[in-house]
Amino acid sequence: MLAASLRSRSLHLSSSLLNHSWKPVLSGSSHSFSVESNGGRSLLDLNEIEKVLTDVKADDVKVIPAQKHAEWADYMVIATGRSTWHVKNIAQALIYKAKQKQKGARRMTLPSVEGQEGGKWIVIDSGKVIVHALDEKARAYYNLESLWTSDVSKEEPVQDLDKAYIKIRPKRNNSKRPANRDA
Amino acid sequence: MIQSQTHLNVADNSGARELMCIRIIGTSNRRYAHIGDVIIAVIKEAVPNSPLERSEVIRAVIVRTSKELKRDNGMIIRYDDNAAVVIDQEGNPKGTRIFGAIARELRQLNFTKIVSLAPEVL
Repeated sequence: MLAASLRSRSLHLSSSLLNHSWKPVLSGSSHSFSVESNGGRSLLDLNEIEKVLTDVKADDVKVIPAQKHAEWADYMVIATGRSTWHVKNIAQALIYKAKQKQKGARRMTLPSVEGQEGGKWIVIDSGKVIVHALDEKARAYYNLESLWTSDVSKEEPVQDLDKAYIKIRPKRNNSKRPANRDA
Repeated sequence: MIQSQTHLNVADNSGARELMCIRIIGTSNRRYAHIGDVIIAVIKEAVPNSPLERSEVIRAVIVRTSKELKRDNGMIIRYDDNAAVVIDQEGNPKGTRIFGAIARELRQLNFTKIVSLAPEVL
């Protein structure tokens, strides 16, 4: 009986935690993103996010394919809010959309939200699409576009590395036999 | 394994160069901090004419440790240095760019901002 009560309590706790913030569980391995395994769909797809952002009148929405910058996400979406309240509302609208989408599901998975208290820079991490809602100052300060649109991944000189691993058999210069007897 | 009095490099352009851990945020009497933990640190060395100064007390997230980080799939990651990123009370990074490779675990620990600024994610 004790165990049962404990279990119900833990369930309750976990549900309250879920409401607060759900982390897309990326199990440590590099090639298994559980977001895909979750019924084969992402929490929010790009069209829905764009629609929500236009509905809440987010300024200057930019979608950047981030594949070459970061392999852990497909798209980065940047949006500007006019005030901290507006930025918070953008985040709330996206969470609401995710909830609406999964209505009736037994287990809701919500995107993880970071920075909701401050309202200067809120990141909504819905698996493969990452939404950054910033206020104007923060957007100018961090200048995320230049980070992700510039030509990244300056290839390091690989040739040196290739050479470095070649095993070189040392010449036998300590052998008693003279190297060229004919001379 | 970061404890108080550990010196760490700074992996961003916030203006600090070297930190010393003075406290680990979490439970009381916590002994060691690992990747993704927040520490209170004091700036031991700073870039001249930068917003951060020497002997300022700040918060920082550990992003690289020499102590190996084990993953469930058997992967082990060990860096050459101990490094941290300076953050403010709300969790926003002080600097605008982050240098060096960063572990994927930070994303699970709700540091997506740092991960998205990083040039390389391991």
